[in-house]
Amino acid sequence: MQPTLETLPLFRSLTPEERSELESLLEPASFAEGEDLITEGGPEEHLYALTSGEVEVHKEVVPGRRQHLATMRAPTVVGEMGLMTTPKATATVTAKSDTAGWRLPRAAFLEKLDAGSVAAHKVAYEIGRTIAGRMADTDEAVARIVARLDDASSDRDFEVFGDKLMRDWSF
Amino acid sequence: MSQNDIKTARIFDFLTEEESEEFVRVSEPVVFAPGETIIEEGGEPSSLFVLTSGVVEVTKRVPGDGPRKLAEIDAGDGRTVVGERGLLGSSGASATVRAGSGGPVEAIKIPREAFRAMIRAGNPAAYKLATRITRLLARRLTRLDEEVVGAIRELDRRGETDLDVFRDKLVTEWTI
Repeated sequence: MQPTLETLPLFRSLTPEERSELESLLEPASFAEGEDLITEGGPEEHLYALTSGEVEVHKEVVPGRRQHLATMRAPTVVGEMGLMTTPKATATVTAKSDTAGWRLPRAAFLEKLDAGSVAAHKVAYEIGRTIAGRMADTDEAVARIVARLDDASSDRDFEVFGDKLMRDWSF
Repeated sequence: MSQNDIKTARIFDFLTEEESEEFVRVSEPVVFAPGETIIEEGGEPSSLFVLTSGVVEVTKRVPGDGPRKLAEIDAGDGRTVVGERGLLGSSGASATVRAGSGGPVEAIKIPREAFRAMIRAGNPAAYKLATRITRLLARRLTRLDEEVVGAIRELDRRGETDLDVFRDKLVTEWTI
């Protein structure tokens, strides 16, 4: 099967030529039910473009308790954060059923980006738009948690915590 | 103040001379009176402002509380850009930025619409700036997520009740 990124929204702004430039970097990837694509705290060296199957995202929010964050069905993309920042996974992605698709190596993508590839820049831009949207939601979450921390106690620790939370704000 | 001042902002320092010229061409010098709003929380997605002089105050409405001051940014210090998220995002600003009471704020504005038009035209300089902002936001989001998780753990450790509901709300839409 020829790799194709055509059905994925992340690549929608690319021309067919730009798409094939990135498709030439793809490697096939498949996972059996229960297998991890990405492990929390582990390396994040690939972007996965999934063409079949379903994956679940979990995070150990409180030590010893895995929290379910999302279930994602192909066609979808996971691992896009790793392309743009320190490649250390912040959640675990597990195949819920047999899952297949393609993986784009981070190093090859960054090489393209540094060389000024329009295709790579367009993908980075789409990831940026996703992150900007997510950031807005996180900002609201942080505002709620700060309010909660303020309510919870007049403890100084909490105040320091609240200040730390506010530090990385982006508007 | 000159529009050429944007070239000294760190966010543009990876562009070639020709590329930063393209931003100089679409930029506009702006002055805000003391107390005047530069970016409004909940308003339109913002343009990017390179602050060249003065002090701005960043505030955010916190549920059940009044506006909370997040930061004060002095154009004389290192961080001199506000509104970078608005260039990429489509949601409204999440905080209010206004000129401090001490004096006017001078800035150079890169209008969001001008930036979007450059992107639509496939302008490489615009894409380079977008990538730079994406990396900046990705780094901040990762740190912010860590802080949120830290706060949840702390609340959990202190035996907060109804935390499950609260936690569910906080960690929806994780970006991996």
